[in-house]
Amino acid sequence: MGGSISKMMSKIFGSKEMRLLMLGLDAAGKTTILYKLKLDTDVTTIPTVGFNVETVTYKNTKFNVWDVGGQDKIRPLWRHYFSGTQGLIFVVDSNDRDRMDEARKELERIIQDREMKDALLLVFANKQDVRGSLSPKEVSDELMLDRTAKGHTWKVEPSCATTGEGIFEGLAWLSSNVKLPPK
Amino acid sequence: MEAASARAARYTREPVPETPLQRYIAQACSPENFEPNLALSLEIADSINAKKGVAPREAAVAIVGYINHRNPNVSLLALSLLDICVKNCGYPFQLQISTKDFLNELVRRFPERPPIRTTRVQNRILELIEEWRRTICETSKYKEDLGFIRDMHRLLSYKGYVFPEIRREDAAVLNPSDNLRSAEEMEAEERAAQSAKLQELIRRGSPRDLQEANKLMKVMAGYDQRNKTDYRAKAAEEVGGIQQKARLLEEMLQGYKPGDEIKEGDVFEELANALASAHPKIQKMCEEESEDTEAVAKLLEINDSIHRTIERYKLVKKGDVEGANAIPKGTLGVSGAGVKKGPDNELSLIDFGGADDLAGSSEPSATGDLMSGAQTAAPPKAKGNALEDDLLGLSMSDGSMGQEGGISLGGSTNGTTNIMAQFSQPQPPQHASNSIFASTSSLPHPQPQSQQQNPKTTYDLLNSLSASNPRSASKPAAPIQSAAQQYRQQQAQRSSADPFATLAATPTRQPSPFQFQQATRPTPPPQPARQQPQQPTPSSGPVDLLGGISEPHSNGSAPPQASPAAAGGDDEWEFSSSLPDQPTDLTVTNSKIKTVFTVHREPNDEIAISSRISNNTAQTISDLTFQFAVTKGLTLTLQPQSSRSLAPNQSQGITQSIRLQGVERGKGGTVKLRWRAGYSIAGVGAMNEQGEIVGLGVL
Repeated sequence: MGGSISKMMSKIFGSKEMRLLMLGLDAAGKTTILYKLKLDTDVTTIPTVGFNVETVTYKNTKFNVWDVGGQDKIRPLWRHYFSGTQGLIFVVDSNDRDRMDEARKELERIIQDREMKDALLLVFANKQDVRGSLSPKEVSDELMLDRTAKGHTWKVEPSCATTGEGIFEGLAWLSSNVKLPPK
Repeated sequence: MEAASARAARYTREPVPETPLQRYIAQACSPENFEPNLALSLEIADSINAKKGVAPREAAVAIVGYINHRNPNVSLLALSLLDICVKNCGYPFQLQISTKDFLNELVRRFPERPPIRTTRVQNRILELIEEWRRTICETSKYKEDLGFIRDMHRLLSYKGYVFPEIRREDAAVLNPSDNLRSAEEMEAEERAAQSAKLQELIRRGSPRDLQEANKLMKVMAGYDQRNKTDYRAKAAEEVGGIQQKARLLEEMLQGYKPGDEIKEGDVFEELANALASAHPKIQKMCEEESEDTEAVAKLLEINDSIHRTIERYKLVKKGDVEGANAIPKGTLGVSGAGVKKGPDNELSLIDFGGADDLAGSSEPSATGDLMSGAQTAAPPKAKGNALEDDLLGLSMSDGSMGQEGGISLGGSTNGTTNIMAQFSQPQPPQHASNSIFASTSSLPHPQPQSQQQNPKTTYDLLNSLSASNPRSASKPAAPIQSAAQQYRQQQAQRSSADPFATLAATPTRQPSPFQFQQATRPTPPPQPARQQPQQPTPSSGPVDLLGGISEPHSNGSAPPQASPAAAGGDDEWEFSSSLPDQPTDLTVTNSKIKTVFTVHREPNDEIAISSRISNNTAQTISDLTFQFAVTKGLTLTLQPQSSRSLAPNQSQGITQSIRLQGVERGKGGTVKLRWRAGYSIAGVGAMNEQGEIVGLGVL
């Protein structure tokens, strides 16, 4: 009885579930973002060997966030996580100008996979608190998002994982742009 | 548009195909087909294999949908397609059919109680489950992932369903093939399996699965190297298996008399087919190993000799025995087929002039000495991993091992072990040569001390071949230094820890992890040259890179009596001694129950163990059962336990005598004995313990 009521409520108020995949080069701040979302604290992380997954509820939407390690050895394994992903969060270290090209290539490889064709793309231009970091516009230029993410709905969100700046804004964008999967 | 059709799919009974794969499956299961469309089914299987990722799951879900179709013809078509996919898509698909949801879906239309007559569809489903249980659930390398098939089988039997008999030959394709595979292929296969498993674990997403996925990622990304397989070593081992087959066939052909008939499908043909299929693989391996000239040289030699054997087989089959005999012998350790300098059987790869008179007809053929695996591949396998032996399906029969004899343990004239004693005996040729396997002494294998003491008593084949060994110079039978030999010496200098490089180098060489001391051979081969069979004969045998995968040189596989130096790693000497047999005590368990084995070496092939079990608790122990298992080749005879219960703190309340037959002297150190104990304490709580004893503490 109670279950059916909550089901009805969710139909009316559109509570939804979303599977998000968070990728990016190593040391971009993925795990820090994940735990900022989950615990709202700034945790000190170690390089992720493997993956972390957490469920975060924000604004009526339950996000299942998968954070997979970004070291080059793990990158070939990313594709195993593509299936069923509705939103890709690509985290970029805005200070790491040298590796922007590398990041672009990786992003290209992910977003052009058949399994990801319907996914939204949210790019976190992370580490905005560091002086001299690239602006969101510069990041999107560096990543050539117009070309790389062609056919996808995308957005670059300036963020700072340690303060949490921009992160929830990003989630809000994802939740408002997600196409509801046919239930 | 797409969303609309997907929504429609949910409301209609017929699944609406969306992807090309689903469309193909719909087509294959369409009731318009009067019989299964084999071509299309295979295409579907190929497409699943090509796409990987979610494709196996997608296909499995789609197919099982059609299996539950109301039209039994559709169901049967879908079942036929399922069968083809299981047989052609390997582990990724098999993983899908062994998921709980798939299996539940598969039997969805089974009534709770079995009907008096099962329908054709039900019968076919039962048949498939039975087939899977009999094949992949037993033989797959990843059978632990397929456990739900077994569970489903059990559940159905419990409910009273009767499984039809299956024809093993039809299902045999599901068993792992024993075709030769190269290192690359094996690695690719493993990766594909890991990949499929990771995908499945992530999909399931339960905390336990995710934990396992995390672990698997570490392995796949190369952070967790603990269980990493050396695929080159494995490939080398497989080549050893092929060599074994080549030798067996060659031997059989030698024994072939005109008038005997080679029938269809008999052992001759089976072996010849195995060799023929290995032939292109070896060539491929040559390409893959192209940077390792040494390995390529070896592989080519093996290839040549296999080729000769096949040719001979073909001729013999045609009835042209003459022609067959004209083919040079000396194939991979063929008995009696040493490289003779006969008028027409000449194979002058290496000219061992002067060896004849001393070594009888035994002559080392220069051919496969490098890949000496075939002979020695057997012992390490059986010793290191009996299971693997099974999986590889290699036939390591006792008889043939004995005949290879080249490096078997032989008692020497002065009472200590002398590896090469065998070569000093004038022997019938079929026991003597196996030249190939008589690895050169540049292998860092243990050499018996006695050789140094009286080097002149025997023709020391090992030494004669050894370049880096100064002793060889003074040998009376030192062979002519042929060019080939020199070449080999040079090769030997370039030592490497390469599994293919059986030819090791100088004695100073560090042991590679692939070497091992052939401390034992698992089965007691008949040894013609053995003069003192009761002599404790500790390890002596070539270090075989091909065969030994994991046994480091110094891991103590040397028997206990051997001097410490023998276990010291890169020592070339194997010390042996002959101490009187003394019973040894082994504490097997010391938990609630204390079990002590007294192990005693009997004068023949037997080891007698008397087990005494004491109660460590202050409660009564009852229903105590001790079970044992030994590796193949050994026989276990158990006397009944003296009792099944122990009074509180009773000491040695249960005794049992165990006899182990077939443990040749010197092999006691590597006997593996598994045990399992079950008992209940104070009448409640069944306790189980199990373990494995490696080495019984006696020779």
